[in-house]
Amino acid sequence: MNRRDALKKSALALGAAAGAPTLLGLLQSCAQQDRLTWTPRFLGEDHARFLSSFVDFLLPKTETPGGLDVKADIFIDLMYAKTYDEAGQKQVVDQIEKFNADCKEKYGKVFAELSAQDKAACFKEHEANSPKFPKKVWGGDVGPREPVGFYRGLKSTVLWAYFSSEEIGKNVLSYDPIPGEYRGCMPLSEVGNTWSL
Amino acid sequence: MANFNIDADKNLTYDAIVIGSGISGGWAAKELCEAGLKTLVLERGRIVEHVVDYPTMTLDPWEHELRGGLTPEQKAKHPKGGRSGFIGAFNEHFHANDLENPYTEVKPFMWVRAHQMGGRSLLWGKQTYRWSDLDFEANAKDGHGVDWPIRYKDIEPWYTHVEKFAGISGEALGLPQLPDSHFLPPMELNCVEKHVKERIEKDFKGRNMIIGRVAHLTEPLNGRGKCQFRNRCDRGCPYGAYFSSNAVTLPAANATGNLTIRPFSIVQSVVYDEQKGKASGVRIIDAETSEEIVYKAKIIFVNASTLSTTQILLNSTSSRFPNGLGNDSGELGHNLMDHTYRVGAMGTVEGFEDQYYKGRRPNGIYIPRYVNLKDGPQSDKFVRGFGFQGGGGRSGWGAGSNQEAFGGDFKDGLMKPGPWEFFITGFSECLPYHENQVYLNKDVLDKWGQPTLSIDAEWKANELALNDQARQDAKEMLERAGLKDVMEFDNKHEMGYGIHEMGTARMGRDPKTSVLNGNNQVHGCENVFVTDGACMTSSSCVNPSLTYMALTARAANHAVSELKKLNL
Repeated sequence: MNRRDALKKSALALGAAAGAPTLLGLLQSCAQQDRLTWTPRFLGEDHARFLSSFVDFLLPKTETPGGLDVKADIFIDLMYAKTYDEAGQKQVVDQIEKFNADCKEKYGKVFAELSAQDKAACFKEHEANSPKFPKKVWGGDVGPREPVGFYRGLKSTVLWAYFSSEEIGKNVLSYDPIPGEYRGCMPLSEVGNTWSL
Repeated sequence: MANFNIDADKNLTYDAIVIGSGISGGWAAKELCEAGLKTLVLERGRIVEHVVDYPTMTLDPWEHELRGGLTPEQKAKHPKGGRSGFIGAFNEHFHANDLENPYTEVKPFMWVRAHQMGGRSLLWGKQTYRWSDLDFEANAKDGHGVDWPIRYKDIEPWYTHVEKFAGISGEALGLPQLPDSHFLPPMELNCVEKHVKERIEKDFKGRNMIIGRVAHLTEPLNGRGKCQFRNRCDRGCPYGAYFSSNAVTLPAANATGNLTIRPFSIVQSVVYDEQKGKASGVRIIDAETSEEIVYKAKIIFVNASTLSTTQILLNSTSSRFPNGLGNDSGELGHNLMDHTYRVGAMGTVEGFEDQYYKGRRPNGIYIPRYVNLKDGPQSDKFVRGFGFQGGGGRSGWGAGSNQEAFGGDFKDGLMKPGPWEFFITGFSECLPYHENQVYLNKDVLDKWGQPTLSIDAEWKANELALNDQARQDAKEMLERAGLKDVMEFDNKHEMGYGIHEMGTARMGRDPKTSVLNGNNQVHGCENVFVTDGACMTSSSCVNPSLTYMALTARAANHAVSELKKLNL
């Protein structure tokens, strides 16, 4: 049993107390080792398995929902299907294959099948080697932008898919669709988490 | 709101025609209708009724299938305007289709267009500042361009007139270079902005940092609600809290019973009557049926937005005006200006980690011009000046993309706001250069077979020197204010990014060197008025829309008075 499985087991014990929906979620995430529990619109099954494992490893379930709990993987596949043109779609597929090929070469298996330790080593290497996004002003870059590469680009997409989900936006972050006023200074403790909108 | 009368085709003759329904066209319609003139507004695009036609105004990200993402088909319609970075699924329907409306970039120029009722008044930044005699006297003093035919005293009552109806929020300061408007209560600065303001004003004599002056209601006005701080303005405001033609001027015009608005009307030209020596009407092409129709009127206001207005005038040829209506001077199409964009500095602010704010304020801070004032430091590197916009706030989960971390703690850490960041970005004045120009291109036609524009304009040495100074000053101010990790930037955007196109049919004192007189009448064809950005003789460094509003109201009232005297 690796560390990741141990975490899952302890979470399972907590989840059992918390109720059936959590338990069901965990069972589904265990089952995904073998086959996908969702039907991709764009990605092939192997590529979808990569995406789900990337999302799960970047944003695992803790006391707050994980990336898979809010279906970040399913949403990203939808984005690939509906907002990417053909060239962009082909690039995604090529980049996933290359990412997996690199994993195989270094760690012997594709990303989804790696141990938690190897996944962490893989992510750390990409973190160290991926250029960063430029700062933004009014939604636009300031300064020059060099390509951030597949890893950081996907990381950014996963964060967006996660934090723009209804579960996180409404129930985890501080949600106030119609503030009605602007208060320029107030204690953070009165708000708690970041505003979602 | 009552429905608009769109039944123009039963009546081909009006007292007045207004071409365009954006910020200036809306004001022309209101003033003319309220003076009792039967007024036809010709709109290139569709009707957008306030609230009714704001389909995305309340959507949260997750309520849209792609959470604001655009499909490849949508993106393909905006190869030009999309460069602004402002087009997403929640406002795409308010941006013009670049494929149906091509233009040619002889030099790079980003042109943002909005072809529907209300035009760019639905999308604008709402920063509203009076110009001063520093601006109206600038050309005369340093010899660039021609002298404005008006001074601040000529426009001052009209600023008052439009401000009281539009609703401008801000703080009165008594600065000569940035005269106070009639203000609704100002919006609040946040903790960090207050801190930076104190430091800058203490360390730099003669510099002020103020909350932006904006066309947002901070108190209800004339049945419109106040700002709810949702910052979803570019989708249309359900409260009517910000100024748009749709929420403010066109409903007022409609209430008189004198307004007819005709959508899907591609204006081909203004028709000149050689016998009478004045314009007799406007020729349009119906965008849906391609039918040609001529509407007649005693006076015509051309408010199609700076470059589109000039395109119409250039296309309005006659024996009297073979090179375009009002082009005796040869200046029609010339002296195109904009404001420079995205040059400044940003940094982080320490010490306010336990502080936050509430509300999404559709506004930031403003640092009024402080160089080359009447009394104060003069530069030997450039003429004119620049101001800054900017603001502060705490970074959110987006900062996670660059953090070298992943996993559960990483994720949970992103639930809390990140460091305070603060930035300022300069807007520099652009001089009027004859060679910065647009002209008709008969080789590239739009969807309706009409000639399009070629745009041939660029920043020159003075603008680049202003930008250099703005960048250096920005960095110096933020560093001396105690910010950390201060980074200066200059994106070197081409013209157009400021979305403040001005000039190409300038006002002036002499018909030999200008297109319009001091009341915005076309020289030689005085029943045609141009009161959008095309009329501007210089560009100031100050946002121009409030000045368009005031010039429009002034010209419309002059037109009514001249009509009564039977002078037009």
